[in-house]
Amino acid sequence: MKLPALALPERIGWRDHVIGALLGSTYVAWLLSTARSLGFPRDEGVYFRAAADYVRWWRMLLEHPHEAIQQGAIDALWSQNHEHPALMKTLFGVSWWLLHEKWRVFSDASTAFRLPGMCMAAVALWTTYLFGARAWSRQAGLVAALLLGLMPRVFFHAHLACFDVPIMAMWILCVYVHWRAQERRGIGWALAAGIVFGLTLETKHNAWFLPAALVPYALFVHRRALWRGLKAGRVTLPASLVSMAVVGPIVFLALWPYLWNDTLARIQGWLEFHLHHEYYNIEFLGRNYFGPPSPKIYVPVMVLATVPTVTIALFSVGVWERGTLAMKRLRAGIRGLLGRPAGDAPRRDARETDLLLALSLLVAVGPFFLSRTPIFGATKHWLPAYPVLALWAGRGFVVVAAAMRRALPALDGRKKLAVEAALVASVVFAPLAVTAHSHPFGLSSYVPLVGGTAGGADLGLNRQFWGYTTQNAAAEYLNAKAPRGASVFIHDTTWDAWGRMQEEGRVRSDLRAVGTPHEGMFALVQHELHMSEVDYSIWVADGTDAPVYIVEQDGVPIVSVYRRQ
Amino acid sequence: MRWLERWQKWAFAAVPAIGLLELAAHAVQTHSVVPERDWKAARAYVVSQAKPEDLVAFAPRWVDPVGRELFGADVATLEREARPDESRFPRALEVSIRGAHVPGLEGWRRSSEQRFGGITVTTWDNPAPVHLVDDLVSMVDPQHMRVTRADAGGREAECTFVHGSPQSGGLGAGPATPGDRFACPGGGIVGASVMADLDYFPRRCIYAPPTGPGVLRLRFLGVRLGRVLHGHHGIYVEAERMRTGSPVTISFKAGDATVGSVVHHDGDGWKPFELDTSEVAGQRADVVAEISAPSGDRRMYCFEADTR
Repeated sequence: MKLPALALPERIGWRDHVIGALLGSTYVAWLLSTARSLGFPRDEGVYFRAAADYVRWWRMLLEHPHEAIQQGAIDALWSQNHEHPALMKTLFGVSWWLLHEKWRVFSDASTAFRLPGMCMAAVALWTTYLFGARAWSRQAGLVAALLLGLMPRVFFHAHLACFDVPIMAMWILCVYVHWRAQERRGIGWALAAGIVFGLTLETKHNAWFLPAALVPYALFVHRRALWRGLKAGRVTLPASLVSMAVVGPIVFLALWPYLWNDTLARIQGWLEFHLHHEYYNIEFLGRNYFGPPSPKIYVPVMVLATVPTVTIALFSVGVWERGTLAMKRLRAGIRGLLGRPAGDAPRRDARETDLLLALSLLVAVGPFFLSRTPIFGATKHWLPAYPVLALWAGRGFVVVAAAMRRALPALDGRKKLAVEAALVASVVFAPLAVTAHSHPFGLSSYVPLVGGTAGGADLGLNRQFWGYTTQNAAAEYLNAKAPRGASVFIHDTTWDAWGRMQEEGRVRSDLRAVGTPHEGMFALVQHELHMSEVDYSIWVADGTDAPVYIVEQDGVPIVSVYRRQ
Repeated sequence: MRWLERWQKWAFAAVPAIGLLELAAHAVQTHSVVPERDWKAARAYVVSQAKPEDLVAFAPRWVDPVGRELFGADVATLEREARPDESRFPRALEVSIRGAHVPGLEGWRRSSEQRFGGITVTTWDNPAPVHLVDDLVSMVDPQHMRVTRADAGGREAECTFVHGSPQSGGLGAGPATPGDRFACPGGGIVGASVMADLDYFPRRCIYAPPTGPGVLRLRFLGVRLGRVLHGHHGIYVEAERMRTGSPVTISFKAGDATVGSVVHHDGDGWKPFELDTSEVAGQRADVVAEISAPSGDRRMYCFEADTR
């Protein structure tokens, strides 16, 4: 499909940035329109608080720079949540300060906090589109970006002032810039590769793994030059790698004032926090995991259960096509080495796009096949793999569309356009329907392949985490039915989250949160396997095992509401 | 090989077909939620059929909260929901959706089946029904029970029965302490509670955590004895799952006769036991349960027993 009506030039350029920006801004608009119906997970409350502290420090830096750079001032305002780097929390804070506190663009502080995360989702779609367009075709890029945005888990996490979608965006941006740096080989792109790597490090610790993809890739692309250099007795490294090694850490340190004092000890503390991270409970196939060994089939099962199946099908087509080409190239290369005629070897891609994408995917998801890697984040920890999955799905779409054109050669004009539009619709409608339906229970939703939300529950897949569904219990029951001043045991929801929900009018302000079931007139249970114990405590404390209301998604219990007898 | 060429030519259609199938499946799945009227109809039937001694259970496990909400606590009683096992019930009414079954009813005889829209109520007969004589969990009150705690030196102190308010916590806090309980001097309680076992099933049981060296002694007054003392014991899941805690021993006496003892090691889960009481069958006697552990650290121990 050539998108004839748009009549875009062959060359990818500024118009494609406009397309990418349009995709991204449409996505942000969708996220903004649905943000108010999504409660606040545990982590978000912590990040809101940290973000407000961080922006206070930046304001202090502008107003009283000498005081701001004293260790006392830095430690006072940067110690909150120092186990995660500062970029996103700084952006959350700046957005909150400007768009809520100062200019009142958003009446909800939370929406202002969340906006940078949503914008990062837009960056991911934009970059994915550009990557696909430059690597193969606009059609591939467009379908890839759409399918990335139409993954229910991506949509869920894209709402939040957290780091999972931002690291997905920064990961693919880093890979993209690095790819461009090998293609363009100018100092500008090399510098950009270092800066973006520094920003990625500043986003989340997944970035530690990126060099495992980018270094072998760059060395492979430059293998001939490297070999020539070695033969001449010198080592010549790709400029992008040098930039990553030099500029990256400078950017990283510059943007995280907490590391400006006791630098090595604090970096060590950061590393150790994540290398020895606590294992939280999570259900998988009916069993509660709370420590190693993690199940080896966790990643494939969860990907199949949460990524729309048609996206997986297109990804498989894309991988098959690219893999077949790679095998042909490999065979031709071996024949060449053996001095035999190379035959009809496919044209070499000087950018080695498929190698980079393969490395990126493997490195993003590889750690989650290790038995010692905690799995408590469900799919969110390997979101950086999804843009690549989407890109190969986009490529798969191109292959399918080409096969359709070969099968229907007689079609032309409007009919051809209609059939091609129908093909796009056939691969986009299901992901769109599944994703739209998943909200606001994105963590409870599973794709039709496993039977939807109820199928996921049948399989014993995790229902939710972080206690964010208290808002739904309030919206559907408590706000209307609880007596004035009633006390509510809020279970897994944090005080921060509860307070913010009341401040923003999501939960009635007269309701009082309590920390134990027996203190509450009402008690909530956010259903997860390991949270059953809280359910049973409520039975004893409240004198009944019958909830008065249940928040459900497709008939599956999400939150039970009890009222003390 | 024309068919192969034709297949290859049209193979691309598999992808849009998957997309359309996925869309159709999504529409079906999201519109096949069992409506409340089916639950109400099923409840009316179950209420008309179930006797107090029958089990009423919901399947699959995840739909249990919905069953409790819509059937109410008078049908989905604590005794049924937090049962020690299914063996004590002569008959079970299984309320199920999506073709699921209660695993504990495997091997039971299906006697009838009724459908109410998306709900199937199956009546199962226990192939080996037992005659339950006395249930120790229902004897946790000052009329039927005395509790003492003996320290390591053998000094025994009475634990008094109190009507307090229940004490409960969030994740990791352990079973709730019931309002009606025996409270021991220097700490320690005994009361009927509901514990999450190692597989997170609810178990209605006598919560009697040993508090270190010494013995927690529970005397059940005038128990009618049968041929066996049948029971289970376990430790609250988060206290057991790391498998680092001390074993807990429970010993039973009936009158002057020693019935036997069983040990619970971390990892055993909700562990069944059955002790022979045939020599004293038909008699009425005090049953004494002595609970001890080398260390009381996180020994959130709970047991249940009946005579049959």
